[in-house]
Amino acid sequence: MTLYAVTFYVLAAIVVLSTLLAIIQRQVIHAVVYLIVSFFATGLLFYLLGAPFLAALEVIIYAGAIMVLFLFIVMTVRAESGEDKGEIYQWLPAVILGIISLFVGGVLIFEIPGSKTGLSTGMATPSAFGQFLFKNYWFPVEIASFLLLIGLVGALYLGRRESRKGSEDRR
Amino acid sequence: MIVPYGNVLLLAIILFLLGAVCSISRRNLLMILIGVEIMLNAAGLAFVAASLKWRLLDGQAFVLFIFAVAASEVAVGLALIVYSQRRTGSLNADQYNQMKG
Amino acid sequence: MKTILFFLLFFPFVGGFILAVIGRYLPRRVAEWIACASVLGSLLMASLAFGAAGEKRYLLTLFDWIRVGDLSASMTVYYDHLAAIMALMVTFVSSLIHLYSVSFMRDDRDYVRYFCYMNLFVFSMLVITLADNLVFLYLGWEGVGFCSYILIGFWYSDVANATAGRKAFVLTRIGDVAFGIAIALFFLILDQLSIFSINSKAASLSAGTATLLALLLFWGAVGKSAQLPLIVWLPDAMAGPTPVSALIHAATMVTAGAYLLMRLFPVIALSSNAMVIIAAVAAFTGLFAALAALGQKDIKRILAYSTISQVSYMFLGIGAGDVTGGMYHLLSHAFFKALLFLGAGCVIQALHEEHDIFKMGNLRQRLPAVFWLYLVGSVSLAAIPPFGGFFSKDRILLSTFGHPEPIYKFLALIAEIGAVITVLYTFRMFFVAFLERPSLQEDFRKKDLKIPKFMVWINAPLAILAIFAASLNFPEVFGGKSWLAHYLASIPGGIPLSPASAPLERSMEIGSGLLNIAVLIAAYFLYRPEARFLGRPTPVVFRQRLEELLSSGFYLDRLYQVALVKPYQAMARILWLKVDEGVVDDQFDATANIFRFFSSGLQLWTTGRLSTYLKMLLLGFTAIVSALALGWYYLR
Repeated sequence: MTLYAVTFYVLAAIVVLSTLLAIIQRQVIHAVVYLIVSFFATGLLFYLLGAPFLAALEVIIYAGAIMVLFLFIVMTVRAESGEDKGEIYQWLPAVILGIISLFVGGVLIFEIPGSKTGLSTGMATPSAFGQFLFKNYWFPVEIASFLLLIGLVGALYLGRRESRKGSEDRR
Repeated sequence: MIVPYGNVLLLAIILFLLGAVCSISRRNLLMILIGVEIMLNAAGLAFVAASLKWRLLDGQAFVLFIFAVAASEVAVGLALIVYSQRRTGSLNADQYNQMKG
Repeated sequence: MKTILFFLLFFPFVGGFILAVIGRYLPRRVAEWIACASVLGSLLMASLAFGAAGEKRYLLTLFDWIRVGDLSASMTVYYDHLAAIMALMVTFVSSLIHLYSVSFMRDDRDYVRYFCYMNLFVFSMLVITLADNLVFLYLGWEGVGFCSYILIGFWYSDVANATAGRKAFVLTRIGDVAFGIAIALFFLILDQLSIFSINSKAASLSAGTATLLALLLFWGAVGKSAQLPLIVWLPDAMAGPTPVSALIHAATMVTAGAYLLMRLFPVIALSSNAMVIIAAVAAFTGLFAALAALGQKDIKRILAYSTISQVSYMFLGIGAGDVTGGMYHLLSHAFFKALLFLGAGCVIQALHEEHDIFKMGNLRQRLPAVFWLYLVGSVSLAAIPPFGGFFSKDRILLSTFGHPEPIYKFLALIAEIGAVITVLYTFRMFFVAFLERPSLQEDFRKKDLKIPKFMVWINAPLAILAIFAASLNFPEVFGGKSWLAHYLASIPGGIPLSPASAPLERSMEIGSGLLNIAVLIAAYFLYRPEARFLGRPTPVVFRQRLEELLSSGFYLDRLYQVALVKPYQAMARILWLKVDEGVVDDQFDATANIFRFFSSGLQLWTTGRLSTYLKMLLLGFTAIVSALALGWYYLR
């Protein structure tokens, strides 16, 4: 077992554990904090798997931007969360189906030829990645930027304060 | 030599299913959205591992697009949640059953 | 050169684009300036290109557009002498008409829409003019068709206008289909879509293929140029604003069909059968439309039929193998017909939308400037020597007459009759509308006739060109230089297949010139204000019938209605009531009932609860993954 493998298993354990803890939290705010840990560890995994640029992005976008957005919303939206108190039947079907899928998926994964060969280390430097991206995927990048713009506009539109007339109509 | 390729994929599928279970069993709209984020993240992990295995940068490029999709999805999704909370005062997904056939 | 041609094409496009996007927010003056400036810029570029090109020809690729396998449709321009002249004419006429439109549309609130479409039209027309790739050309071809449709129906609140637009669109589409087929055939047979390569490879075509291609191209041109049997849309197209009629339905778009045949002349020239057909259709269209023009009362409809008849002379020139003659007539026709239309626009607006020439009259005193301009246009249209129209039309008649095939002598005779009738209808319109008529009611004559001075004087350049168009190609037998003929000598078909001998040319030109003048004098006695039958209350039955026949354009519309539209409607009715409702619908109803039965069971499942749906999603996912695993296991 190499040092790399040890790092991987430690990180994988952190990721799985923190995600598991996140999804069973009753308070959304706790879940978000656990998830930040999970995403940090995933970012380190990305680094280990030779994607330093994506590791940075993972920390900045997922752990930074997205989760902070969630925190903001949790703080702005004061409403009953709608959770029932610890009912097992609520979890049961999902967990059973999940375990079946996991079993079948695991079997499938290890049937793939070459899945048991080890990954050798490698590193895509950010500049190489950037060169590659803009040489081969410049058009999808443009489309992605457009998608972000549309997301921005859509969020603005949905989040705008409604006119007084509209709110009167509803009541 | 880090670990076998299959182990990374297994980690990815575990993460994915955790996200799926979260989306399904929670009633809170915010938690459903969080589950979706976890699933997207798991897909990204699988892509990065595949990119390393075949020494092709395309996998990493796709992760970038997943990030873009996740970011815009979260922006619109959260805006929708705020909007619907304003309308109904609840975050319970099962309160939105106006589409009942 | 590439830059010049690029700007030549894209000035009007950019103008139209700006107007389309932000035109509504601009002040009126600014929008008008953008529209005019973009076309004027194009004119400047066309002149620069004309000067810079000299004797050279250019084949330039502006953009790659579509590239699939062997098929490449790039935005390529082929700038030869033909395109140079045509581009100059198009930009010049459209610049004047844009300026004129500023005055003409001064009271219309939809000016942005108008100028936007006009600019787009100029762009599409320039694409037709310059394009080398046939697919690129087709883009312009459909572009002008679209702009024509939308501008005919410009005042869409009146149903008749919208219908006229639709009619034009559908009828030109009949031709466009043939053109599309021709493009596909060119690609199949020659593996080429470039006009330049097609022309250089044309000799390898077999006679039968060449005839087929030539006839398909001609059919496409017939639709666009309103020749027989697709002429009926053009008179109705006069529903649009008058400057639109002048630009699209007189000077440029309707001549695009003839221009297309000139561009691809090497293909046409391969098939003498196709040439005879083109010439014959053209000759009969010319006579037909001239007769129909003789029976119209609406000043714009007279001009429309006259356009059809004049365009047919261009086709006759092509059919007789004389591209230079066709192009010469295209040029002089563009000038005098635009002049006539714009003059008619002045008259119509001055008389508060009065189109009937028999309600006009006495315009010589009331609109003296328009009177002179209109006179110049009329004598040019009527081919009175030494005005522009005379030499161009006579050159075509001459090359038709001089063609070795005997049938051309007959066609030349028909065309000559058409030319004589042209003189008649032109001066019928002119004398009736402009001379004093005591029979008109007094109050009408005193109506206030105010139109902007600018609207009249902007026509002056056109009038000057109509007068001096003769000097473009003054025949050598009369001591001229034949500048145009020399300039166009380098293009395919530029030199007539069978040049006429000098004595024949001289005698024929003098003869037909004298004939035209004689008919003009006869027209004066027929249609002068004091002519007895003008005011006659009840015409003889025969005359009435004849007038009806002529004014309806030989009942062509009604024929199409009875022969094509009615049976189609009847068939559609049977299909709808019997087949569709009786058979098809019942089947669907039965099917729907079965589904309704089953779905009532499924309905219970749709709880509307998000969590249920998500559970189903995961269930499906699990099922799919398991199926995959099972399949994998057994197939291994």
